[in-house]
Amino acid sequence: MEKRKINRGCMEANTLAIIDSSAEFYNHKDSQEAKDDRIDFLEAVRTTSIVPEHGTPPTKKMVEAVFQILKAGESLELIMSSYELLNEIENRFPRVYISESSGNGSRELVVVKEAWLPFVVSLDVMSSEKETKRRNPPGLFDPNGFHELLLGIAEMTYKTISQRLDTKFLGNMLLFQYLVNVLEGDFVPRINMYKESLNWNFLRECLLNMLLVSRRINYKVLMKDCLFTICSLCQDYAGNRNESDCSKTSIEKSPENHNTDVAIALLEVQRTTCMAMQKFMIMIMELDESKQQASMLGQINRSDGARTQLVEIILDELTYYRKVLPQFLQVFNDPKRKLEIIVQYLLKYTSKPSVRTRRSNGSSEDSSFLGILKSFTEISSTKNIIKKLNVEVVQLLLAHAFLAYTSMSSQQPLSSMPNCNEAVIASSSLVEISKNVAAAFNSLRKADEKIQISSLGKEALFTAAMIISTS
Amino acid sequence: MMDVDEPLDFELEDSLLINPVVSNKRKKLMGLDELLTEHYKEQSKLIENEAKKQAKAQKTYDSDEDKNCKEAMLASLLDDCQKQVKAISSGEEMSEWGLCVFGQQKATPPLSFPELGSWSNFQSFMNNELNSLVGLTSEQVCSFLEGLLKNGWLLRLILKCGRVEKTIAVWTFSLMLYSSKEELRSSACEFWCAILSSKIQIDARPIEIDWYPNYSELKRALEIYGFLFNSSSSISAENSSDCKGPPQNIITWIKFTAVYCQIRCKQSVLLTSDCQELAAVIICLFLDRQLQGLSVLMRDCMQSVISSFTDEEWINSYSRIAKSVASRVPLDLNCLRAVQCISGVDTRTKHLKSVVAFEILVNCFDDKVANEEGILTWLISINVKEKSCDFFKMYIYVVLAENWLRYDEMFSEKPVIREMWGLFLRNCSCQISSTDLRPQASKVRNKAAYLLQGIGNS
Repeated sequence: MEKRKINRGCMEANTLAIIDSSAEFYNHKDSQEAKDDRIDFLEAVRTTSIVPEHGTPPTKKMVEAVFQILKAGESLELIMSSYELLNEIENRFPRVYISESSGNGSRELVVVKEAWLPFVVSLDVMSSEKETKRRNPPGLFDPNGFHELLLGIAEMTYKTISQRLDTKFLGNMLLFQYLVNVLEGDFVPRINMYKESLNWNFLRECLLNMLLVSRRINYKVLMKDCLFTICSLCQDYAGNRNESDCSKTSIEKSPENHNTDVAIALLEVQRTTCMAMQKFMIMIMELDESKQQASMLGQINRSDGARTQLVEIILDELTYYRKVLPQFLQVFNDPKRKLEIIVQYLLKYTSKPSVRTRRSNGSSEDSSFLGILKSFTEISSTKNIIKKLNVEVVQLLLAHAFLAYTSMSSQQPLSSMPNCNEAVIASSSLVEISKNVAAAFNSLRKADEKIQISSLGKEALFTAAMIISTS
Repeated sequence: MMDVDEPLDFELEDSLLINPVVSNKRKKLMGLDELLTEHYKEQSKLIENEAKKQAKAQKTYDSDEDKNCKEAMLASLLDDCQKQVKAISSGEEMSEWGLCVFGQQKATPPLSFPELGSWSNFQSFMNNELNSLVGLTSEQVCSFLEGLLKNGWLLRLILKCGRVEKTIAVWTFSLMLYSSKEELRSSACEFWCAILSSKIQIDARPIEIDWYPNYSELKRALEIYGFLFNSSSSISAENSSDCKGPPQNIITWIKFTAVYCQIRCKQSVLLTSDCQELAAVIICLFLDRQLQGLSVLMRDCMQSVISSFTDEEWINSYSRIAKSVASRVPLDLNCLRAVQCISGVDTRTKHLKSVVAFEILVNCFDDKVANEEGILTWLISINVKEKSCDFFKMYIYVVLAENWLRYDEMFSEKPVIREMWGLFLRNCSCQISSTDLRPQASKVRNKAAYLLQGIGNS
């Protein structure tokens, strides 16, 4: 053990020496030589830690140096290599994992306390700004920094494609993805342990929770920014943006020819960033659910703070800014959560106020997708819904809910899905749902002869008809 | 460890070698950089002096000449000097890796599929009562189907019925590789990846697919993107201004290829020789700087291709892949990139990495030596003190040999090779003095010193 320690120290000094020489010599900071040194350094970290079967984990200083290279984002080559290396380190040397003790078969959560973290968060909400600033190593992410990174990405998404052909933007998106990976690596084993034991302590100390309860960020604003960023990020590849802007030619004939390497990867990285952002939001929703459950078990105290559930925030935003609804439904493709959100959304308009139940205990027939569809059987209630929501929105919601439902039923077997919200899925079969979707559209037409069925609605009807006829 | 016959060199007593404490090394590295600037200054001074001398000499001959003329001459001389200084300093910098593996793109095949109307589902839907709401006519079939694909309905229907008809398979495959619309390409790719993975996922119902693309289809797509299969036609990226790179469609090609190789264990879709070629092609993709941003996808794809071989196939394949790569890459920084892009995390890629590095080394010596000891003997025989020693090449040799031996699983069982490797590294790190100002000399020395520590530790 002692020998290994010495070796690690030695390894750290040796590998860091590769970049130190060029960093100190800052006249040449941007020179090719300095970049080469950084590439050599990344390769050296990889060969000592990742390549050997029982590699030595890189020291804090080493990981931090790799992280700073990603953050500095000096060239695409450095960004890609450091990003890949950080993820490899993340997978190879997890900070949190579940160990199965061989004796009694019990499982235990192992937290590697000395592992390096890109975040500076703490449960201690009282710690003053000044104090943390002094303690924080520069360049790490506190909750504020995380929010700023997101805002930077959001700002870029409103620009034209040629303005977005920027290495820094690409680097920031990858940085965001890495940070979400770190949050996920910490969250997944903890929530698994929580589900087994129903002990909130496992989740109280998770990075995600500490990030969100921090008084230094406005949680609601962060969530809203997240929602709008994911909607505007998806526009290029979902084909919603003006054709002339995102057409192939404008990407390839950009004035800066040296950016062709960024151009070819841009849409792909935007897509993976959307996926990361969705992952981030889904983790928060799972955390919310567990917290609510823990609260009912009496495990939540005042120091845990109170947050509005993310689903509520999303529902409110989608209600006030109906414009982003189509984009959100297109980009947010986790079927279970999507169906849940749509059902909640429609419930606001379908059920009578007197029987409207709170989400937490709304497990009655009314709050399932089938229940929603049933409220379209009567012409009068259909008319009522169209009056409150317009016809296009109703079609959009029904079609997307149906799409989510079909996705869930093709992810077989349904019952094995963890934490499946039985209320939303109910036990109705796919054929039954298809019949009801077709009936709901028919009823929309009956309620208003002049309505145009949207193309998405037509596709939903086609699918429903095919499912009914093949069964 | 030390060879008795070697000349005694004070550098051997370097604390680095006996006791790897590194504080000294850091200082030295900083020192080197300072020395380098001094070196630049000296070089430019030398040239200036030379120029002055020349100018003087000229003065004696042309003393009658007009003053203006002299000024002009001086100016041009100064220009020459500056050029020389520039040439010297740029000679010190290694150029970047980067090849142009994609040339002129070819015309994409037409994407109209009149036979789509015959898709059985359409025929049955036309008579369905729900069509009174939808109003689908046979003219709109193609655009309607595009909508079904884009929004994911098509995949749901196929997963439900469990079968993909040939027309749908061919149509989605062409859209995936040749469509200019991003959303069609990516949804077609998602479609194919989903139906293919239904064959390998444990609790999924495998989808019956009526048509599988063969390797020639994949190859044809690459040719249309402008990929230069012929090794002689790929050129250094620096020399070509019209290096356009591939279209965005390469992304879906890479993703599809990755998943397609995975199903080889269930479905005989690609021949062994196809996969060998694919592995070499993907290594080539890594050499194009324009594709750097896709390195995550390319690495996944390479991993998938390499793990798709059965053990038996692999034994017959790795050296072919390695030889094919070695024959394609130029012997400069590009060959190092080719070795570096192979991940080396699992047994197979370790093996491949070692063999590729070895084959390139063999090519470096024009096949004059082909066995391991021969190569190391050759390397040791290089006299680094000789003026003509090419340190750029030395650097390439050091890195190649390092990769060849580090990833060779038999290395620990080859004491002679081990001994020779150590000797070579000591030659490089000790016989090149720390004040050696020749281009790249310090780089070779530092690299060797770093590697030597690794040997000492293990």
